[in-house]
Amino acid sequence: MPADQFKEEEFSGKLTGEVFSRILSLLRPYWLRVIGFLVTVIIVSVLDAYFTYLGMQIVDQGILTGNREMLYRILIRYGSLILVQSASIFGFVYLVGILGERIRYDLRQKLFNHLQKLSLSYYSQTPVGWIISRVTNDTERVAELMTWGLLDATWGAVNIITGLIFMFSINWKLALIVFAILPILLYTAVQFQKRILTQFRTVRKVNSKITASHNENISGVRVVKALGREDKNLEEFSELSDEMYTAGFRAAWLSALFLPGVQIISAFAIGGIIWYSGVQINFQGITIGGISAFLSYMTFMMWPIQDLARVFAELQRAIASAERIFALEDTTPDVLDKPSAYDPGTMRGDISFEHLFFWYEDELPVIKDLNLNIKRGETIALVGSTGGGKTTIVNLLCRFYEPKRGRILIGGHDYTDLSLEAIQSRIGIVLQTPHLFSGTIKENITYGRLKASQEEIEKAAKLTRAHQFIERLEKGYDEEVGEGGVLLSVGQKQLISLSRAVLSDPEIFIMDEATSSVDTLTEALIQDGMEAVMKGRTSFIIAHRLSTIKRADRILVIEDGQIAEMGSHNELLRLKGKYFNLYTKQFRSEREGAYNIFQEPDISNDKQVD
Amino acid sequence: MLKQNGRSDNTLDLKRLLSEKRLAGLWRLMDGFQYLYIAAIAAQGFSAYSKTATFLLLSYFVDNYIAAQIRPYPIWLIVLSFVLFIGLQGLFTYISGRLAAKTSENTIRRLRNYLFDQIQHLPFSYHSETDTGELISRCTSDVDALRRFYNDQAIGIGRISLLFIVNFIALLNLNTKLGLISVIVVPFILGVSIFFFRKVSVAYEAYQEQDAILSTTLQENLSGVRVVKAFARQPYEITKFEKNNWEKFQRGKKLLTIHSQYWPISDVLCGVQLLTGYLVGALMTINGEISVGNYLAYAGLVIYIIYPLRGLGRFIVQMSNALVSYDRVYKIIKEDREPIDEGDQKLEKNINGEITFKHVGFEYEHNDRVLHDISFHADAGQVVALLGSTGSGKTSLVNLLPRFYDFTSGEILLDGQDLRLFSRRFLRKEIGIVEQEPFLFSRSIKENISYGVDRDISQEEIEQAARMAAVHDVILTFPGGYDTLVGERGVTLSGGQKQRIAIARTLLKDPCILIFDDSTSSVDTETESQIRSAMETLMKNRTTFIIAHRIQSIMAADLILVMEQGRIVQKGKHADLVKEDGIYQQIFNIQTRVETELDQELSNAG
Repeated sequence: MPADQFKEEEFSGKLTGEVFSRILSLLRPYWLRVIGFLVTVIIVSVLDAYFTYLGMQIVDQGILTGNREMLYRILIRYGSLILVQSASIFGFVYLVGILGERIRYDLRQKLFNHLQKLSLSYYSQTPVGWIISRVTNDTERVAELMTWGLLDATWGAVNIITGLIFMFSINWKLALIVFAILPILLYTAVQFQKRILTQFRTVRKVNSKITASHNENISGVRVVKALGREDKNLEEFSELSDEMYTAGFRAAWLSALFLPGVQIISAFAIGGIIWYSGVQINFQGITIGGISAFLSYMTFMMWPIQDLARVFAELQRAIASAERIFALEDTTPDVLDKPSAYDPGTMRGDISFEHLFFWYEDELPVIKDLNLNIKRGETIALVGSTGGGKTTIVNLLCRFYEPKRGRILIGGHDYTDLSLEAIQSRIGIVLQTPHLFSGTIKENITYGRLKASQEEIEKAAKLTRAHQFIERLEKGYDEEVGEGGVLLSVGQKQLISLSRAVLSDPEIFIMDEATSSVDTLTEALIQDGMEAVMKGRTSFIIAHRLSTIKRADRILVIEDGQIAEMGSHNELLRLKGKYFNLYTKQFRSEREGAYNIFQEPDISNDKQVD
Repeated sequence: MLKQNGRSDNTLDLKRLLSEKRLAGLWRLMDGFQYLYIAAIAAQGFSAYSKTATFLLLSYFVDNYIAAQIRPYPIWLIVLSFVLFIGLQGLFTYISGRLAAKTSENTIRRLRNYLFDQIQHLPFSYHSETDTGELISRCTSDVDALRRFYNDQAIGIGRISLLFIVNFIALLNLNTKLGLISVIVVPFILGVSIFFFRKVSVAYEAYQEQDAILSTTLQENLSGVRVVKAFARQPYEITKFEKNNWEKFQRGKKLLTIHSQYWPISDVLCGVQLLTGYLVGALMTINGEISVGNYLAYAGLVIYIIYPLRGLGRFIVQMSNALVSYDRVYKIIKEDREPIDEGDQKLEKNINGEITFKHVGFEYEHNDRVLHDISFHADAGQVVALLGSTGSGKTSLVNLLPRFYDFTSGEILLDGQDLRLFSRRFLRKEIGIVEQEPFLFSRSIKENISYGVDRDISQEEIEQAARMAAVHDVILTFPGGYDTLVGERGVTLSGGQKQRIAIARTLLKDPCILIFDDSTSSVDTETESQIRSAMETLMKNRTTFIIAHRIQSIMAADLILVMEQGRIVQKGKHADLVKEDGIYQQIFNIQTRVETELDQELSNAG
């Protein structure tokens, strides 16, 4: 399912009391600043309306009466109020802008912190893109609404209201015309803005399709050329850019129509004012300055209306964003510390699996009644075909998931009674797909033990033979690995991730196909080092390379969520069963590979065209 | 000229049209829409003119109808004129916006399509040297910057300048002195706003940069969730994210601080200008130099001279960014395309696939020689195996056949004709390539299989190809069968599955020459035998080149080429090469050695 459609329909965007008060609670810690920007924007808005009124006074009380004293006085007042207004503008831009950034910061941090607590089951059900969109787009939209949205709406509403008050004080009959036309203006404006927003959303969607299309065509350019697909591709791409044209053009002309549309409606009001004043002037009902003030109010009315309409049109979407944020905040982790959870101080000890059952979200059983006792310090190898349940056993052992039935005891404690921190900080796990973080090699290794010294890091890297290739890099341990480690080969990444686990000095060691992409020569070299590491630690090894598992104390053939065969290497060979078949088959291909004089060491990181 | 509305027209050759000169290039890019664009800007002028007319009418109305109580025309005519002027102003604004949008969207659509097509036609040498992310950013962000140039900036600069010119002329006509006084502050406002928007643009960039860093941190945390949990590093991750998050907050704060300084400063500047004008205007009215109506018109018009100028600085700064984007886009456009149709069409009928290399050499542009003196002959339908280590030149050699690269010395003959006489399009149609880890597109499996064929293909045909490639049963296990999407949004396929889908794809394409990359076999034994049988189906009656790492897969080949450092070091059939002293024999002997060792192992176990 595309990330942008995932769970989209569940959020209505309707403003309920609960959502509203939760949104407001985001502002609570900053109430002083909120009051600050509201007060300053009200000052600005009232003054905006008042300046038009002062313009009228200049004409009526200064120019028409020829009273220079009065003229100077009005202009001085005007000038000092401009200073007051400028100061207020500084105040609100500063307050609201920084508040907006602060709320974005708060929301992002809150979501991130919460995400760290969620269990693996959440991540396996939720596309990463969806989560990212919550942390980036939704926080943006909510913060925007709570700050600039609130500000624009306040300015618009106050400006219209004060404008109306002044108009009523100048001439109530004319003001009634304006008052009558106002709802029409507002309604039209909101409808307009909603349509414009919809178009812009379409533009954004098509735009991301266009980016994806470029991306694919560039990464797959070899295939495109080999299959001679150029013309058909251009045809398909043209359809996308036609879609973009239609949406983009529509969005642009709708936007271009908005202000003129509002203007033309208000033109009728202006016509009414002129007509009325042309008649009224005989009765001294309105002054010349008054007419010009009315015209100004009408002309500038479109700005507050535009602001109000925009906020209103965005409202529904922003609330849906808030709902999604709150829903994420309310998600509880599946695997959670009990209130009485404790840290027994060590994870050394026997491990037993008792009648273990497990299934994922699809409810198909993955582990069926698994029983196993492991002595402290034993090395256990898990073999078997993909999908048999090896990785699930590791996931359960690390308590990424908890068994659905049965229990796991570590050192005699039911491990659900222990704290997650106690278990996970003492387990070292190396995954087949090594995950590196942007940063230097050193930073990635010290991820295993944050306070490790340079000597300790190098010691770990030497043990895993990562040191050799690191030293050949230009900046050694300070070499950047790139986003997700793209600058290194898979084999190199595996060695670093192995060093990381070695450095963490775990009490239980798990290697899930940890060296599958390392060349055989290097792997053989690592072997002795790894054995030293595993000595005295309970270790689990999942591997398709036989050399790594041959020396395990016990080998388990896992099939269909159950133990199909169990025993030492020699015992299982004598059995001439599944393990025997697996072993002989792999022995051949592995040795052929090992002796192959063409086999290049993968860790050399060559990125040649050939 | 306007026929383009509905569908794309991709006939314009932008490479010939454009040049290094930026402004000229931006102008020519609009080819066919230039008059429309001029009309859009002219409409802004009419709109400004209507606005001015409204105020002049106000002046007339106040002076005659109200102050002097003379009424030359009925009042409704005046009212109608007001509505008309305002209406015209709106109408012209709208027309301008619409024409500008039409121009920019059409221009940009054409540019988008051209870039897309250009990139897929650029030669291999270009792609191997250019970063994907960089290309994508030029096709998206830079193209969008150009779109904004046409749609907002150029038209905005036009609008503000015309507003200024039309209103300024009107003011000068009202009263020269007053007109001149009203523009004193203009250079200051312009200067301040350009200075300010430059600063904003720098601060904004810093803000965006941090945003990208924060996104990466988040993305890496989410996709590495197992690692984070495995090391119980949640507190560390939170601190790291918080640091980057805080930095973004700080940069946002900086950006906002600049804004909070600019707007009040420019407001005071505009206010000073406004009040000076009001004072002088009012005194002149009192002294009888101008009428009350003139003063009112002045007070209305002067606002449209001063305030829009605050936005001009923004457009000017943004425009300089658009010019940089033009350069970046033009760099792609000016590259030479691979001439895929260039060749002797008469030769392009059925070919047999007989291939001869005569002393072929190849070097990349920057002089590192990759192939030396390659000579061999393969009859139609034969199997040629290439054996050698990474970097020995196997891939470079087969890349010469579909003319991904052209050889630099010697001669390659296809059916006895010089290979360069055939067009690239023809060769690529006749050569099928199955890569070791083939690239599949994020479309349905069905579309991926029929990807290489330019005709309608029935479901039966697709399924038949999938069956022959031994992948039909696998496909049926997917939730959507043949309609299942490949990649992030659908199923993740294993290397072996991808390869078999690529085999099905090639079967449908039905080429006469085949290139099969078998370099590393990371697939398990069962899959390997499935791929092998699928390959045997595919190789029937086609001249085949197999790139291999291991001897087992190539023993039956008609010709084996052992390569080292770009040269053929051994050449022949398996039976002969085994007897020959050399690399081939060494590799072959390993086979027997392994079996002995295995027996030993098993007997050790008891």
